[in-house]
Amino acid sequence: MSERDHNVVWINNREYLADPEQNLLDLINSTGEHVPQICYNESLGPIQTCDTCIVQVDGELKRACGTRVKPGMKVVTGLERVHKAQKEALDRILENHELYCTVCDYNNGSCEIHNTMAAFGLEHQSRPFQPTSYEVDRSGSFYRYDPDQCILCGRCVEVCQDVQVNETLTIDWDRQQPRVIWDNDVPMDQSSCVNCGQCSTVCPCNAMMEKGMEKEAGFLTNQEPGILKSMIELTKKVETGYGPLFAVSDTEAAMREEVIDKKKTVCTYCGVGCSFDVWTKGRKILKVEPHPHSPANGISTCVKGKFGWDYVNSEERLTKPLIRREDHFEEVDWDEAISYVAQRFSEIKKEKGSDHLAFISSSKATNEESYLMQKLSRQVIGTNNVDNCSRYCQAPATMGLFRTVGYGGDSGSISDIAEAKLVLTVGSNTAESHPVLASKIKRSQKLFGHKLYVFDLRKHEMAKRADRFFQPKPGTDLVWLSAITKYILDQGWHDQTFLQEWVNGLEDYRSSLEPFTLEYASDMTGISAEELKELAEEVAHAESVAICWAMGVTQHVRGSDTSTAISNLLLITGNYGKPGTGAYPLRGHNNVQGCSDFGSMPNFFPGYEKVTENDVRKRYEAAWKVVLPEEIGMDNHEMIEAIHKGELSSMYVMGEDTGVVDANINYVTAAFEKLDFFVVQDLFLTKTAEYADVVLPASPSLEKEGTFTNTERRIQRLYQSFPPLEGTNPDWKIIQLIAKEMGHDWGYTHPSEIMEEAASLAPLFAGVSYERLEGYQSLQWPVAADGTDQPLLFTEGFPFEDGKARLYPVDFELTHDTDEEYDLHVNNGRLLEHFHEGNMTYKSEGITRKTPRAFIEISEDLAEERGLEEGAKVKLISRTGEAVGHVTVTDRVKGKEIFIPLNDNDELSINLLTDNRVDKDSNTPAYKEIAVKMKVLKKKGKSPIPANNHRRGNPVPQISVNVEKKWGRADYEFPGSKVDR
Amino acid sequence: MAKPISNIKKYEKTHEEEIDQNVAEVKAAVSDNKDAILKGIQLLKALEEGGTLDTAYAFTKKKKEALGYVVEEISKEQYTPLLKNLPELIFLLGEIDVKALREFSSKLNQGLEQMDTGASEEKTGFLDLAKALKDPEINRSITMLLQFLRGMGR
Repeated sequence: MSERDHNVVWINNREYLADPEQNLLDLINSTGEHVPQICYNESLGPIQTCDTCIVQVDGELKRACGTRVKPGMKVVTGLERVHKAQKEALDRILENHELYCTVCDYNNGSCEIHNTMAAFGLEHQSRPFQPTSYEVDRSGSFYRYDPDQCILCGRCVEVCQDVQVNETLTIDWDRQQPRVIWDNDVPMDQSSCVNCGQCSTVCPCNAMMEKGMEKEAGFLTNQEPGILKSMIELTKKVETGYGPLFAVSDTEAAMREEVIDKKKTVCTYCGVGCSFDVWTKGRKILKVEPHPHSPANGISTCVKGKFGWDYVNSEERLTKPLIRREDHFEEVDWDEAISYVAQRFSEIKKEKGSDHLAFISSSKATNEESYLMQKLSRQVIGTNNVDNCSRYCQAPATMGLFRTVGYGGDSGSISDIAEAKLVLTVGSNTAESHPVLASKIKRSQKLFGHKLYVFDLRKHEMAKRADRFFQPKPGTDLVWLSAITKYILDQGWHDQTFLQEWVNGLEDYRSSLEPFTLEYASDMTGISAEELKELAEEVAHAESVAICWAMGVTQHVRGSDTSTAISNLLLITGNYGKPGTGAYPLRGHNNVQGCSDFGSMPNFFPGYEKVTENDVRKRYEAAWKVVLPEEIGMDNHEMIEAIHKGELSSMYVMGEDTGVVDANINYVTAAFEKLDFFVVQDLFLTKTAEYADVVLPASPSLEKEGTFTNTERRIQRLYQSFPPLEGTNPDWKIIQLIAKEMGHDWGYTHPSEIMEEAASLAPLFAGVSYERLEGYQSLQWPVAADGTDQPLLFTEGFPFEDGKARLYPVDFELTHDTDEEYDLHVNNGRLLEHFHEGNMTYKSEGITRKTPRAFIEISEDLAEERGLEEGAKVKLISRTGEAVGHVTVTDRVKGKEIFIPLNDNDELSINLLTDNRVDKDSNTPAYKEIAVKMKVLKKKGKSPIPANNHRRGNPVPQISVNVEKKWGRADYEFPGSKVDR
Repeated sequence: MAKPISNIKKYEKTHEEEIDQNVAEVKAAVSDNKDAILKGIQLLKALEEGGTLDTAYAFTKKKKEALGYVVEEISKEQYTPLLKNLPELIFLLGEIDVKALREFSSKLNQGLEQMDTGASEEKTGFLDLAKALKDPEINRSITMLLQFLRGMGR
């Protein structure tokens, strides 16, 4: 007998089976009975502010959302006294919210106040609407708050406090007229608000609303404020009851469907893979609306995904192909550009050989486009010189996982990270780089007491929140990881059953750990032996451990080895294959995972099958009807070197600003200058494109269909919001045009056909099809032919011949990067509100007015030592180049550590400083190992961080909305008690 | 040696090219939507004949201002009763038995017609009234009116 069988609950004299402790309103909603509810939201849980869901429970009137079911409970929803109590609650809501639906921008069929009132059949209002004395707050960039429309349901507070966990919003219940406030009651623009926009997403009405919707959504809403006010008055006068009002506004809402288009897309701003509907009117973007069933993010977004789409309609978009003519580019039509590219490719291939050409795919483009790029390279040109920008970030993680567990991807889902009892983040500024994923970790820690340990050079948000924060010396993560693994083995705390059943190589591995004693580790990392012991104990004994890591690990000379050490530790402690466990290399871009998955790699066909393996090559040769090259091609890094050596003459770069984002850009751009023929495909005339011979104008994600694969290996479809900007083409079409011009007519009419071909050739994606990915459905690879996918890997072993994982020994040698002359260590990473080199996000005025440029973070100690103050201007000089910027003095960095956001393409581009050193196993640039000296240009000045930047705000943490304070007010009486009096 | 460059010589379409391209697009659209366009012309013609087209044109041109005036005017206090009455009136219409009303009004019309034929100077005394009650037509009318008054008083 299951537990459910014990939980019989009677609702309106019918028997229902409930889960133990199930929320009563949840249960009622599943029975088809209707109870009004406004503050309750499935994604948020009970908030208990609106009182509209009152029902009779065992004779007593109670909020259904605040009640947990008990066996034998008797619930009645249809009694007169229940109805009266509900009506009282609804009346109170309308005291706070004026109904002028027809001229309201929120009247789109989904207004929960409107719908609840209409469903209840509320005809008249007992008490008049009471406006507040507060002004509308429209100081922020992206949304505005209207206290006169706010019903104080507290959803915005709940989402801010407990879902996003930014802790900016509260309701001040103590004042005469309660309202939502930002921080300690400052205008929203001056607060700690990060503009994730989730408050406007969950608001049941028009109180918290995206500015993009204003005056746009309705037929009659685009009026001067004066007239709008008159019209609101008018709609109220005309109404004789809500029935007719609703009928008119429902008609208007239905008409809006005709002009407002809602298409699902997948975000392009990081590897989390948030999906949402984009509301558009023509090419105008009204708002981004996440879906409760968005698989990776639910209702969550960050500022970039919710509001950062201005670049799509930027005036700077290229709309014609460009061909270099001496000292300028000339706009030409597509036919001319394509035939020129094809002709030059053919000439170079003929004169110098296929391997003199190279191709770079984009982690921002779709899986289908990655597939076509490698197909162009391999089938049409005949070279394996194809790579993608994961080489710049996560290739070492993939390497570490291939060595140990066999699949180069996250071992579980984001929900597993949320479920893990202990999360370790290593070299990951998660809250800024993967904001939505970070909020899941923050929520589990805040509400459910899960533990968070953070390892980073920098005291960023996650570090401040962490239960324990460690600052190992730069580049030494491998050491503490190996040392605690050794200590766990020495203490006998390892998971012996798991190791015996699932893991090979324990003895060799154990002896390879000999050098990693606690003393050695403590010396190398700066973490004390005592702390290491405690850490080992926690990791060994935690019920489930997930380790997340990012560029702070991978962009080092030992990036692959450190990733390997992480995986080794997880194997030793048995943290694979169970819910809440595993390795999570957080992918940086939307399709870093997919771009490699679909074959844009010099050594792999799609699905990580080696180009050197005959059987595999035969399969592709049969399908593509050509003989394919057998040798592994060049990766990004080798390509640049080959150009300098005269071994590579032509490059085709799709959607990557290589000349900004590759390390040591002076060296890279010098290489571009040496190319015989250089094709760049992008939205804008990027720094890289300035070196091109041909620039092809592409269309961004909102203008095309395709699929992306997020960090969880989750393949998701994107739909076209509006057609490509005139003169531009989606990447897949452009590549196809070139192939056709070169004699290979692929004939794809839709990206689904490309996916079909890829799925038929790569066993890893055997069951992937567009039908299975319809709407918000997704698949996490490997996908079997019958469509079965694997949200959690390794539940039935590891993808090696004997099904067992492998412990992989690694060693360590300290390489000092700073010395007496170059005495400062520069670290770099992302800012929350900008993406990559900033080509997209700096086009958003709402973002740049708060975060106009990158900056140089220095510690208080260093500021004092050099006599610097906030806003000082300094020049940083490394062994390879120099960069100039303004200083901010913070406690986020310490000593001689410096941090620079990587989001700049100008004189503070971090890669002016980086050099040619790479991870020894994957050729990923060691971006994080830069030593510089500092030259002071100006001692102080204007801070590079404006006063309205969220980093200057003061969050007000609390759990939920403090509804008890509402209940405690002198003017509050529970509607249920009032009815019974 | 390819030095970085960023100046673009724009491909300027000549005026003629632009016209040609636009005409081609319109032509294609007309051909694709032949029926709808012909019907549209009929509609325009009908509107033109009724004089509605001018009004609609003028209103559309001045939509914002016009709507402003209307809303401003109609929001004045003196219209409040009217606005309140309007929907009431609509509900009233919904409740009236239109069939009965139609019969009643046709009878009213007959009465009016008859009224025109009679000499208005003639005086009617009490006896004339009593006599008239014997006239079956008058009697039917009086009975009906009495029934109506009874029903209204309920």
